[in-house]
Amino acid sequence: MKFPYLKEAIKSVFKKPSTEIYPIVNKEAPEGYRGKINYYPEKCVNCGMCIRVCAPGCITRTIEKTEEGDKITFNFYQGQCTFCSLCADFCPRGAIELTKNYHLAVTDEKDLLVSGTFIKKLPPKPPVQPQQQVQNQQNQGAAKTE
Amino acid sequence: MFKKLIEKSFEKSPWLFHLNTGSCNGCDIEIVSVITPRYDAERMGFKLTGSPRHADIILVTGPITSQSRDRLIRTLAQVPDPKVVVSIGSCPRSTNVFNGSYSVEGPLDKYVPIDVSIAGCPPKPEAIIDGLAKAIEILREKRRAMK
Repeated sequence: MKFPYLKEAIKSVFKKPSTEIYPIVNKEAPEGYRGKINYYPEKCVNCGMCIRVCAPGCITRTIEKTEEGDKITFNFYQGQCTFCSLCADFCPRGAIELTKNYHLAVTDEKDLLVSGTFIKKLPPKPPVQPQQQVQNQQNQGAAKTE
Repeated sequence: MFKKLIEKSFEKSPWLFHLNTGSCNGCDIEIVSVITPRYDAERMGFKLTGSPRHADIILVTGPITSQSRDRLIRTLAQVPDPKVVVSIGSCPRSTNVFNGSYSVEGPLDKYVPIDVSIAGCPPKPEAIIDGLAKAIEILREKRRAMK
């Protein structure tokens, strides 16, 4: 008579259980995990690249015109997000970050929304140059090309 | 006396029913991994059932495709009250990347109010356990409100 798994069975008796007791012992996500979105409005330049690359269209932007400049609001609705991280990869200023936080179970839909507002000031108008100077500059430019 | 025992055991052991409405299988695998010995949701009393008539919590995955819409409505009607609807992943919440497709019939909250929504594509098993813990509390409140 043979017991093919007897050795394994005896070994397993003295082993710890392999269960991760999650709510008691918190588990950290692995390096490079793409979880909850962080948005830094102070770094954003409103280029709109993230909206262009977002496949499900979870990023929306509203622009309000105020006296100080354009008031721009970015909304990231994580209920529609694929967590592909393309928006963060394409952002030229690193204003979007996908953190390792995976606690995204909510009872209220609004908790999934990440939004940020910033005011983009209009550039100051350049001073108007006198007519003669402009002509001189054009002449100089023409001379260089020759 | 038996009634009290039954009341208590209801709260301690909610049964899950997994409903796939055209999911890509990513969230389904995560749900199955919650039941495996590694994450072991059964230590909290969760048990996967095969019949919607036995279920307390319904886990919905996938954007609702036109093929599965009628079946979704029929299955949800079979679940006895009080029931808790949990949407797993981004698809039932908002149809995700399939938004605007001809064969996808809208997010889940068109048909039934969602109690707990778990974001992620797919969510981590730990996140699903978080969501189920919230679902138990909602189920308890609903049971008390029904009395």
